[in-house]
Amino acid sequence: MVFQLVPLLQEVWLSFTKTTLLNPNLNVWVGMANFQSVLANPSFRQTLLTTVIYVAACVVGSVGLGLLVALLLNGRFPGRAVARSLVTVPWAAPGIAVALIATWMFNPQFGILTRTLRGMGIDPGPNGVLNNPQLALGAILVTTIWQLVPFVAVVLLSALQGVPQELVEAAQVDGAGRWMTFRVVTWQVLKPTIGLVAVLMTIWSLRRFELIWLMTRGGPLGSTRTLVIDLYAQAFESKQLGTAAAIGMVGVVIAMIVIIGGRLVANAAAKEA
Amino acid sequence: MMHRIRLGVAGRTIAVLVVLGLAIFPVYWMFVTALSSDEELFSSSSVNILPNFSRFGVFAAALADGQVVTWLLNSLIVAAGTTVLSIGLGIPLGYALSRFTFRGKAAVGLALLFTQMLPEALLVVPLFAMFRRFDLLNSLHGLILADTAFALPVVSLILKGAIDGVPRDLDEAARVDGSRPPTVLARIILPLIAPAIAAAAVIAFFSAWNEYVFAVTFVFDKPLQPASVGVAGFIGEQDTSIQSIMAVGLLFTLPAVAFYLFAQRYVVSGMTAGAVKG
Repeated sequence: MVFQLVPLLQEVWLSFTKTTLLNPNLNVWVGMANFQSVLANPSFRQTLLTTVIYVAACVVGSVGLGLLVALLLNGRFPGRAVARSLVTVPWAAPGIAVALIATWMFNPQFGILTRTLRGMGIDPGPNGVLNNPQLALGAILVTTIWQLVPFVAVVLLSALQGVPQELVEAAQVDGAGRWMTFRVVTWQVLKPTIGLVAVLMTIWSLRRFELIWLMTRGGPLGSTRTLVIDLYAQAFESKQLGTAAAIGMVGVVIAMIVIIGGRLVANAAAKEA
Repeated sequence: MMHRIRLGVAGRTIAVLVVLGLAIFPVYWMFVTALSSDEELFSSSSVNILPNFSRFGVFAAALADGQVVTWLLNSLIVAAGTTVLSIGLGIPLGYALSRFTFRGKAAVGLALLFTQMLPEALLVVPLFAMFRRFDLLNSLHGLILADTAFALPVVSLILKGAIDGVPRDLDEAARVDGSRPPTVLARIILPLIAPAIAAAAVIAFFSAWNEYVFAVTFVFDKPLQPASVGVAGFIGEQDTSIQSIMAVGLLFTLPAVAFYLFAQRYVVSGMTAGAVKG
């Protein structure tokens, strides 16, 4: 607690001061100046937009694909237990190692993904995907979603075990097709879990740091600069702790809106059910 | 019959194999790359997709490098320390949250949920200032404290959830027989929530083993760096051979993956029972 709440309060204080990393004792109170300069900066609007795109794509991609994988693994096929274990490997792999292998796979000359893209007729240019402002965010998204899908799949798979068989059979007896059965029975059971996972994915992708930082440092041309990347760069590269703290506050406000919004939606869904 | 995608057994098997291939390929590719010769890696015409086991010595060479062993040991110390500390603090905290009413209980619970959503990158700035004041920078125990701060909320929520599942009658009966709360906790509750403790321990261990932001910001001396920082230092590196980079990356990845697969049953139940609700 001490190591989270005290720093958080300190962060709030910092956001109203002009403190630098090199001179931490210079906490001159500057009021809203950090917020004004952050919010007035056009590149910060770009950062917000990038964050929204990144988070939205991560949530939609991981929940959508996770649901498909869960439905697939829920069936009967040889080696099911082994498959269910192995499919979680991306989630167990450390983010640093993922950044390492992804950077090599996207290597401009020798990366296997670069070669595959070239084979498909997409030329990422001489500097490769991660240095191409049009493609870098896509590459980061593919990598992040690859890592998140197993978690979603495993959670939804355990929720699928709770689908009452009688209801499925009853629906089929009543002449409901596969899709109809899915909508009236399975989807209703999964809905609360999907809501929960979606909120969790939103928070996780808002927090996501090491993958983006190590693969692109927020570049090229700021195309992969999300809030946390901006925050860290302001603090430890530009050494402007006050500005960094102000960016952090914007992030906290967004996260709180997501949490409260998520709770409201979940409560509404619970009432409806 | 539970709902599933409509496919024949053969179609389903193929689909599963494709999904598994996509899941495992990058880790496999680290392995193949580590075992490739320069000609195989940098030939412009063909790509080598099978591992060349005759070059297995690259792993022994990576382990013979004292620096790599130091990194892995530092990671082990930090992860083990974080696990012990967060379980040690999480058990009484989870017990208190589950069984006792006290002033500010709701606030503690809310704070635990709230801290789950804070990015490390946000707290790294004030923690840095705090650690500088208390002389905790550049030390493994400072890193253990920072990692524990992030593992503890998840751990205590998982343990609270597990203790909630233990019928109150059990510990109330023991209380009536004259046992004090610590005895009740140790004799009655802990054995019953052993799987949840295992889950929480694995999650704490993982988060510290994989943690990067604190490690790279708070530790400056090379001999004190954990493997996450060491491995990250290889990204974009020109001087070290890509084979040895991948070998070190795998030595860092495999313990985490193996440990996870071994403990998976507990982790999944723990995550869905406790953490997901946060």
